[in-house]
This record gives sequence, C-alpha cells and structure tokens, in this order.
Amino acid sequence: MLHSLKILIIAALGLWLGLAATYYSVERGHDLGFGTGLVFGAVKAGPWSGWPKTGTREADPYARALFARNGETPLGVTEGLGFIARSDSGDGPLDPACDYLVTGAIPAARFWTLSAVSPEGKPLSVVGERHGFTSSELLRMIDGGFEIRVAASARPGNWLPVSRDQPFLLMLRLYDTALSANAMSVTAGVMPSIVREHCR
Amino acid sequence: MRLRNWIGGAVFHILPWVAGCLFIAGVVHIISILALPRLAPKDSFARISALAQPHKIVLLPATTPHTSAPFDDPALAQGVCRFDLSQGPVRLRATLPPDALTLFSFHARHGQIFYSMTDRSATRGKLDVLLVTRQQLDVVEANDPEDELPQDLRIIAPTMEGFLLFRALAEFPGEMAQAQARIRSLTCGLDKETRS
Repeated sequence: MLHSLKILIIAALGLWLGLAATYYSVERGHDLGFGTGLVFGAVKAGPWSGWPKTGTREADPYARALFARNGETPLGVTEGLGFIARSDSGDGPLDPACDYLVTGAIPAARFWTLSAVSPEGKPLSVVGERHGFTSSELLRMIDGGFEIRVAASARPGNWLPVSRDQPFLLMLRLYDTALSANAMSVTAGVMPSIVREHCR
Repeated sequence: MRLRNWIGGAVFHILPWVAGCLFIAGVVHIISILALPRLAPKDSFARISALAQPHKIVLLPATTPHTSAPFDDPALAQGVCRFDLSQGPVRLRATLPPDALTLFSFHARHGQIFYSMTDRSATRGKLDVLLVTRQQLDVVEANDPEDELPQDLRIIAPTMEGFLLFRALAEFPGEMAQAQARIRSLTCGLDKETRS
C-alpha cells in the first residue's frame, strides 16, 4: 500500500518536472537566451546570434515546439538569415536609457535590414513609423560605410528610435546572402558592432 | 560512523526513486516537446487559416505591435496562399520585376519549412511552381510529353495541408504599396491542367 503510494507520488512528480521543463524551454524561452529559447545550433558572432538551421527541414524539436507556440515564421535558409542581439559589443545588456552606435562591417547580402523589437519580437511603440532601416534607405558615409544610432530621443543621421521605458533587442536580417549556405562560420569581424555611448 | 551508515542506507534507498522520477520527467519532457507542434492551437498555420481561404493570395496585416507574429521584419509586405493538396496539385505563377526582393517559403502543416527560394530563382522574371504529393507527381510525370523537359519546378509537399508564405521588401517606407502589389500579382490556385 505504502509502496504503491510512493510510486504514484514519484510518477506525479516526474510528470510535473517533465512538463515544467517543457514549459520553461518554450514559454519562457525569450528570457533564456534565444530570440527564442533553448534552441541548439546557434551561430554566435560578437553580440549577434543566428539560428540558420531553423529555416530548414532539419529544424530541431525545440525550435519547432517554440514556433508552434508563438506563431513565429522563421526565414527559409535560401531566403536569408536573421540575427538578434540582446547585448552590446561590450557584453552589457541593451538599455533603452542609453544611446548605441551600430556600425562596421556587414556580411555580403543583396539587401539587409536592422530593426529594434521588443524582447517578444514585436515592434516597439515609438513615435512615428520608423521601426527599422533597410540597406537601401540608409544615409551612407563617404567610404560607403554606415552608422545607425539607436536612441530614445531624436539623433541626426540614421536614427533608429526606441521607447524610453521598453526593453528592446536588435534584429539584423540578411536577405539573399551567401552566408546561408555555410552559416556555421560567422566571425564577429564581419558583423556590425554595437557600441554603447552615453546614458541618461 | 553509525550516522554515516544511516545516511548511506537512506541514500541507497532513495536513489532508485530519484532515478525513476528523473527518468519519468525526461520521457515526459521529450514526448511533450515532440508533440507540441501537433497540439499547439496558436501556431502559424492556425493564425493563417483564420485569415485566409485555401488557394487564394491573401495579404497579411502590416507589422504593428498588436497584429504581427513575433520577429517579423517591419520592412516586409507579407502574403500567404494556403494549400490543401487533397483537392489536387497547386500551381504558383509569378512575373517578377528585376531587382525587387521577393521571398518564397513553403511551410508544411506543422511548421516545417520544406522549400524556400527568392526571386533570383526566376528565369527571365517568370516563376512556375507545381506543388504536389508524391502520388500526384507520378500522375503528372506519366502525362508529360516524352520529347521535352518539364518547364515548371515541381515540389513534393510532406503534408497535404500547409501554406506558402510570400514576403516582399519595401526598400523605402513609401514603397510598401508596391511591395504589396508585387504579392498581389502572384497567382496561386488549384492547377487546371493536371485536374482531371
């Protein structure tokens, strides 16, 4: 009698633990690191992380469970590659009270976009309609390089607005890029850097 | 010494239970993760089914804080064509302007992307895709003329139902309407030639 009661308790505890692990890896995935959760096969380059395998037939079970839950539709591997950054190049978390300068190299791609989104991946509520920049509309420097300023209040040049009281992350999308095919090797040097400037 | 023996004995008794509990937890975790794509009520197919009839091009609402799916690019216009191959093969045709980014991805019922391409796959600006099941492909190939190569791209879908997702880039904020028009210009529907 006592024995079967023990078995019952252990089974219930095991069931609860298993479901809790699933809940945390899917529902709270955003807090745990992925633009989405505990997904394997991340490619890291400086502050940027990308998941090239999620847009293929070989997407791992965690990615598929997560997308089924949040309704996200990832990019197919031939369409392009998405990266997100939740920290700056100095490893500090992105803080809406600070200005950030995004500049430097960008992998070869036909088009690319940089946008600021909430940690859940939704557009920020900002004044005006500016949620991101495309590679075509950027004001370029004389050498063809670019500088994008991420800040809560207006800045000259390419200003990507964020909301002062809303956490955000940066999303870089490379469309029609040669990277996709061999994306397992991206170095920080070919990706833009996110430099923290002054904070309020 | 006695105490240590007692602790050792207790651990010895508890260990199998802990191991059993963790084993059950592991099995439950793996099964639930694998089952989730089939059980989740709010996946992208459900979202798109609520918006779109099968075999029609439907534009998705613009990316705003309240309407969009997570991690959508606000610079993209998006459209879908839901398919149900139990009604027959589905044909996608497109005439695309040069140098305007248009993306195509083919999604199975439970979220898997089984094919993707960009407008660069078009030959002389034209794209002709036939989406079929393996059985339908056999029928189509049996009816092919023997002396010429098929002119269309044939793709086998892993599930009967699913959707095609089209994304067109608005290079400038004022070009969103053109990007949407590019998606509206696609044709997607049951294939008339292969239907008997």
